[in-house]
Amino acid sequence: MKIVAAKKLIVKANDADAPVSGDVTIALTNISKFYSGVPALRDVSVEFYAGEVHAILGENGAGKSTLMNVMSGTIFPELGDVTFEGKRVTNMSPEIAASLGISISFQHPAILEDLSVLENLQVALPAALFAGQSAQAVAQKMLDAVGLHIPLRTRADELTVAEKHLLEIAKALAINPKVLILDEPTASLDQDATDMLFGRIRDVVKRGTSVVYITHRLAEIRQIAQRVTVLRDGRKRGTGLVKDFSDAEILAMIVGRTLGSAFPPKSKNTATESAFSVVQLGGKGFSGVSFDMTRGQIIGVAGVAGNGQSELMRALAGLQSSTGTIKLDGLNLKSKELLQEAAFMPSDRHSEGLASGLSVRENASFAALEKFTTNGIMSQKKELSGVAATFGSLAVKTASLEAPILSLSGGNQQKVVMTRALLSDPRIIIADEPTQGVDVGARAEIYRILREVSDKGTPVIVNSSDAAELEGLCDKVIVLSRGRVVDTLIGADVKEAHIVAAAVNAHGHADEGGTANGVKATGGWRHFLQSDNAPAVPLSLVIILLGLFVFSQNTNFLSVFNIYNILMLATALGFIAMGQTVALLMGGIDLSVGPLVGFLVVVASFFINDDKSVATIAMGFALMFALAFAVGAINGILIRFANFTAIAATLAVYVALQGMSFLLRDQPDGYINARVVELVTWQWGPLPVAFIILVIFAVVGEYLLRQSKLGWQLRATGSDEESARRIGVWTDGTFVGGYILSSLLTACGAIMLMTQIGVGDPRQGVNYTLASITAVVLGGTSLRGGRGTFIGTVLGAVLLTEVLNTVTFLGLTQTYQYIFQGLLIIAAALIYSTVRRSAEA
Amino acid sequence: MNQHSTITSSYSGLRSISMLPLARSFVTVVLSTVVLIIVCSIFAPSSVSLGALEGSLPFAAVIAIVGLGQLLVVQQGGFDLSLPGAVSLAVVVSTHYPQQDNSLLPMAVVVALGFALVAGVINGILVSIFNLNAIIATIGVNALLYGAVFAVSGGVPSITTTLLAEIAGGTTFGIPNSVFFAAAALMVVSFMLKKTVMGRRFEAIGANPLAAQAVGLQVRRHQMMAYVLAQLLYCMAGILISGITREPTAFQGDTLLLPSVAVVVLGGTSLLGGRGYPISTVIAAFFLNQLSQFALAVGVPYSAQTIIQALALGFGIGVYSVRWTGNSSKQTKNVKMEDTNDLQVS
Repeated sequence: MKIVAAKKLIVKANDADAPVSGDVTIALTNISKFYSGVPALRDVSVEFYAGEVHAILGENGAGKSTLMNVMSGTIFPELGDVTFEGKRVTNMSPEIAASLGISISFQHPAILEDLSVLENLQVALPAALFAGQSAQAVAQKMLDAVGLHIPLRTRADELTVAEKHLLEIAKALAINPKVLILDEPTASLDQDATDMLFGRIRDVVKRGTSVVYITHRLAEIRQIAQRVTVLRDGRKRGTGLVKDFSDAEILAMIVGRTLGSAFPPKSKNTATESAFSVVQLGGKGFSGVSFDMTRGQIIGVAGVAGNGQSELMRALAGLQSSTGTIKLDGLNLKSKELLQEAAFMPSDRHSEGLASGLSVRENASFAALEKFTTNGIMSQKKELSGVAATFGSLAVKTASLEAPILSLSGGNQQKVVMTRALLSDPRIIIADEPTQGVDVGARAEIYRILREVSDKGTPVIVNSSDAAELEGLCDKVIVLSRGRVVDTLIGADVKEAHIVAAAVNAHGHADEGGTANGVKATGGWRHFLQSDNAPAVPLSLVIILLGLFVFSQNTNFLSVFNIYNILMLATALGFIAMGQTVALLMGGIDLSVGPLVGFLVVVASFFINDDKSVATIAMGFALMFALAFAVGAINGILIRFANFTAIAATLAVYVALQGMSFLLRDQPDGYINARVVELVTWQWGPLPVAFIILVIFAVVGEYLLRQSKLGWQLRATGSDEESARRIGVWTDGTFVGGYILSSLLTACGAIMLMTQIGVGDPRQGVNYTLASITAVVLGGTSLRGGRGTFIGTVLGAVLLTEVLNTVTFLGLTQTYQYIFQGLLIIAAALIYSTVRRSAEA
Repeated sequence: MNQHSTITSSYSGLRSISMLPLARSFVTVVLSTVVLIIVCSIFAPSSVSLGALEGSLPFAAVIAIVGLGQLLVVQQGGFDLSLPGAVSLAVVVSTHYPQQDNSLLPMAVVVALGFALVAGVINGILVSIFNLNAIIATIGVNALLYGAVFAVSGGVPSITTTLLAEIAGGTTFGIPNSVFFAAAALMVVSFMLKKTVMGRRFEAIGANPLAAQAVGLQVRRHQMMAYVLAQLLYCMAGILISGITREPTAFQGDTLLLPSVAVVVLGGTSLLGGRGYPISTVIAAFFLNQLSQFALAVGVPYSAQTIIQALALGFGIGVYSVRWTGNSSKQTKNVKMEDTNDLQVS
């Protein structure tokens, strides 16, 4: 603490006009963090003062994110202390960080796309913030504070990236944090939004908040930060007041890291003929990119991560559409042709580079299989010798060609990806971050291979966030900022310092999708069309029109008896389908509802009989719900804690329940108590009272889904589990609870079914699985989770029952029952998915 | 890294196809089957008698064939719930259409195959072109297939033709013919997957569609193929059932859905897609069938058979989940984390 005090004195001594800095809010002392023995942070000590913006600078991989994660409790350092307001915090976790008033705005916003803007705020922030006044008013203030002018009920998937960032920042600001961590907040913002954000930052700093500002942009630091700390290679390279450093000094601290791997000599080729050229290439994430390269050159793409480089690489590989001209060996190529001609080495090896279930050999050969055939049949000999030859020249180290690909080190995995690329005889190689996660030794070999390929005449384009690597490897480097080329360095100018300077000094701002007001204020009607409940209108229309049509054929269709009959059947289905809705909302599925409803009826048939006492009957009901609870819990636990997929778990339970039903009763028996039947089937005009109860359930359920924390959490979990966890939702609990709820609603359906069949029959109920899924899909609930509606589900149940009833009324055979049901579900799924896709486009 | 020997030109020395990737699931399922046979011969010798095997093997063969079909779909990360309708349709077409007239049987088989092709193409289009959830698409198609079942049969069973009973239900050298059909199906599927360019691409796409897309493979076309081939296999199974059972019902396929999934899982294939193990799947079919026979022999009521199947499915997932954690989201995340961390210190 002595040192801290001393430093504070110095601050005050030589900085009279700077904002008055308060005490140290949070201090990191001698922090070290290792990942499998490799240090990410080494002995880093930083103090953050109240009422001050403290910028953290450094290249990609310098340790900035690790430092931030230590402060927010996401990771725990091996060595060193975190001190908050003078007290040592030994067990920092996201929850404790939040309770201390440390709030963080992630570089990738934890925004749930299926929820509205208001719901995003409500699910993430403590309820206390909304207490006392209307939630809308509170939320509106939060949005106004960051200059985000969008209707609160807008669904978050309609927001631009910039708007999502602002919403994320609004969440971070809302709790009046003592420490506010902003990770690259301006990456997607335009000039106005950036100015507004800086204004807000100055406001909170005045109130005494300590702001930690992580950035790549030198220019921004001068505008907003009082203090700066530079990290390099996980070490602190310098810290102090911004005004005490010149740009050149800061830059010198950022660059100059040791690489430790050797580079092959650069191209001596003096050819001037263009081998590959790009003119005015534009696409998602970049625009106006032009460059050309001669044979033997390696071109580097540089810039701060996320400035359009990876999109450019994908476009060059033919994986993303683009406008402009791409010329290879003098011929124009379209995306489709590029996909065949180019070999793409993806940056995310695990998701896009490797087929983890396959062997080393299979991974190496799958792009060039036709080369290894004899008369159309795979030749093991050709394949092995082909793969082995390339492995030999690339020095791939593997225990065996048949070893699992993941048993290899990162460097050797990458060499397998390179082998695949080379085996496919590409005319151009697009390498996106080729040395990511690769050890030093293998890096040198990868550089050598790329250079050899280039010397043989195949153009090589390398994207790397490591400027030193580009300096060593490339003959020419284009630097991107916000999707545009801000500098092109050639020959002797290809120097790390130049590359970094070009990237961090760029002043440009996002001009595409960057406006903070991308969403137009929408009228109530238009808003309704986009809401989860929109399908209710067409569904109701179809229900009415179909009813009128059948009525015109047979007037008995709309008789009190038949309406009662349809609604009674729809009530059983409706309850079960509501349960299914819960499962689908979580992005799961519950196949077990059909056998469960049958099983519960069989159980009921032992207790709820004419000759049983009221107590026994009550026990029967209690048992039904208890068993449903248990089944739901088993489903949920199998899925969340035993690695079952939702289908596998509920299918296993499906079959087990079927067996149990047959064990309990191999023949229909056990007649249901007549008094109970009478009560449950109570009629009010043409309406069954039970149906009214179902509607009440649906309306209340709908309300809870949209207005309660539990409802938001359920939808948040289904929408994006990872983001939900980041904002503090207990997703495992939500899943298990959801499956229990699904089963309990199914138990309500079982009570209805019990009165309809009147006897314990082990064969009944199974069809409800299909019917419930059909009803839910008809109702418009998304199969991807996060979006759904109970009201739509109930309407779907009514429509389905009506259709099946129509079949009998029109004297059609059972064939049509099945065909209508099949067509309904496929048509509904197709219509909804088309509507959603066009809405997203 | 030192434990890896540097291999350069000596790769050709590894010519013998190593069983490494196959070994795990193969060994597990073979061992389980051997143990089961030993248990059977001690506690319920009647269930492994020649007579009992002759009676039960045809059913194992049918499960093996539908299992292979489900395997192809699961391998592509899909799931086929249209199996019951498909099998039932093949059953009713091959019994109702000929009405015990042997001369009409070939035509019936052609018609059944035609239906299978159409159903497979519809499934494939819905899933791969329209991107519908595989469960929803195949549930819908299943209903359509059952519509066809009722259109053909009216829901009532019909007696099978003597010719089909002879072909599918007969024996050759004392082995039920259906076993030969299953063996043929296995050979075709294995050959296709391991020895043709199309099959190898199919495996790569199943293992990682994104990586396959990145090298320009036709992901959608191959995914569609999975559904078509699966339907053809279901059709074959359905026709076999018509021959094995004297008077098959119109709902014969219903009881096969879970076993088809169970044998795929017991064979070591992950329900999340990826590499498929045809041979292990077929052995698992024998295992599952024998398990039922054993249960019957020791007096478990027939109605409880499905519980045993459910337990077997659960057991399969339990055993392999340890191994397949590489596919679960949590584990993948860890892998990715490590990668980024590497990056941070690089």
